[in-house]
Amino acid sequence: MLKIRNVHKRYHENEILKGVDVTVDKGDVVTILGPSGSGKTTLLRCMNFLERADEGSMDFDEYHVKLHDASSHDVGKIRKKTAFVFQNYNLFQNKTALENVMVGLVIGRGMDKSKAQEIGMKALDKVGLADRYRYYPAQLSGGQQQRVGIARAIAVEPDVILFDEPTSALDPELVGEVLNVIKQLAKEGKTMVIVTHEMKFAADVATHVIFMADGKIVEEGDPKTIFLCPKEERTKTFLRRILPGVEYNI
Amino acid sequence: MDLDYKFLVQTFYLVLGAIPTTLKLTFVSLLAATPFAFAIAMVRRQSGRRILSQIVKAYVTFMRGTPIVLQILMIYSVLPSVLNAVALAWNLPINVFDWDPVLYAYIVFTLNTIALLSEVFRSALGSVVQGQMEAALCAGLTRVQAYIHIILPQALVSAMPNLCNLTINLLKGTSLAFLMTVKDMTAVAKVAASYGYNYIEAYMDVLVGYVIVCSIVQVLFHFAERHVGRYRLVRQK
Repeated sequence: MLKIRNVHKRYHENEILKGVDVTVDKGDVVTILGPSGSGKTTLLRCMNFLERADEGSMDFDEYHVKLHDASSHDVGKIRKKTAFVFQNYNLFQNKTALENVMVGLVIGRGMDKSKAQEIGMKALDKVGLADRYRYYPAQLSGGQQQRVGIARAIAVEPDVILFDEPTSALDPELVGEVLNVIKQLAKEGKTMVIVTHEMKFAADVATHVIFMADGKIVEEGDPKTIFLCPKEERTKTFLRRILPGVEYNI
Repeated sequence: MDLDYKFLVQTFYLVLGAIPTTLKLTFVSLLAATPFAFAIAMVRRQSGRRILSQIVKAYVTFMRGTPIVLQILMIYSVLPSVLNAVALAWNLPINVFDWDPVLYAYIVFTLNTIALLSEVFRSALGSVVQGQMEAALCAGLTRVQAYIHIILPQALVSAMPNLCNLTINLLKGTSLAFLMTVKDMTAVAKVAASYGYNYIEAYMDVLVGYVIVCSIVQVLFHFAERHVGRYRLVRQK
């Protein structure tokens, strides 16, 4: 369904991505792991053109574009097939929870307001915020805000939802409520690409794990292989550092 | 000190009668300046247009760096001659010296306000968290839609205190329009005073007139700020 090939991205002299390929099929939950600065987030942002890659190509259903010179028309169309959940939620501060969810439907897609409201309420119900429709972001906790962010993403029924470290900005005790929502989505067969530092969650939810370091994919495969018997030394050191005490089959 | 109370009261009514002129000067200039100021703010926020950005920056620096009195004197003495020369050169059937001087007042105050207002807009736009633009694009909005529905409403809220300041300063600044023989609040009082040298009474009247008008403007801004910023004022749960 979604394929990106040979993604390169540099900032000035700094090469962030050095030729990365990712394939996402319908129903996949791809988690991308790796140390800070490995290019995970940049890769994710290249997938919906929040960053312009310097090189690379994308095949997304009927769209076949070069990442660096896709027309803004195509970019707009591709963005509407995706949804993005941000590390810092990025909720619209001047809109209520319900309005945050409705904006993409009413303004972005020209949907009828009452229909959008119905969908918006359903999305908020799903993330456990049925009693927070009329609350502004400033009145919500971080976990609640991120759940609004997820509701905003699922409401537009995207082909793929991209998560950029959805729990990194949260208090530890609020992480669970957000991860549970994402797990629920995984169960329903939603297609997702998730950049995360939550290893246990990544192992539970993923159908495919990608381990990145220094702008390249070091190793990828199903979660069991990556977490329990990684082949590459770089993966092993990373996991050892992050998950001490877990017995590996190394 | 002997005050001529009859004159005091009479002139006060004169001053009140000139309030519409002062308000018109203020708000017409403000409205006329808004689109230009916004354009300048946008140009200066974008990284790409370096030359254009430098030009508008020079304009802003120039307008902020010169006294408005000087701007008035320059424009009022230079612009008519320039326009006249243009009219003569192109054989246009107009006589710029017949124009109402209020026109030049509008021009000066608008030019000045463009510079100051663009700075207000620039800082206000910068105060809206950038991630919201990305979120709007991801939600399928175009850049323009994102500005209209997400960025500008929030920028307006943080611009309000500065906007109020600017409006009040402009309103008081229009008192200099008397230099261009425009009959605003200050001018009518000065003219009235000049017949019998009742300057003290006249100035007191103008003083009170400005206090009243500025207070009303401040109160209006207070309510406007509360209204557009209601999402910030809701009580935390």
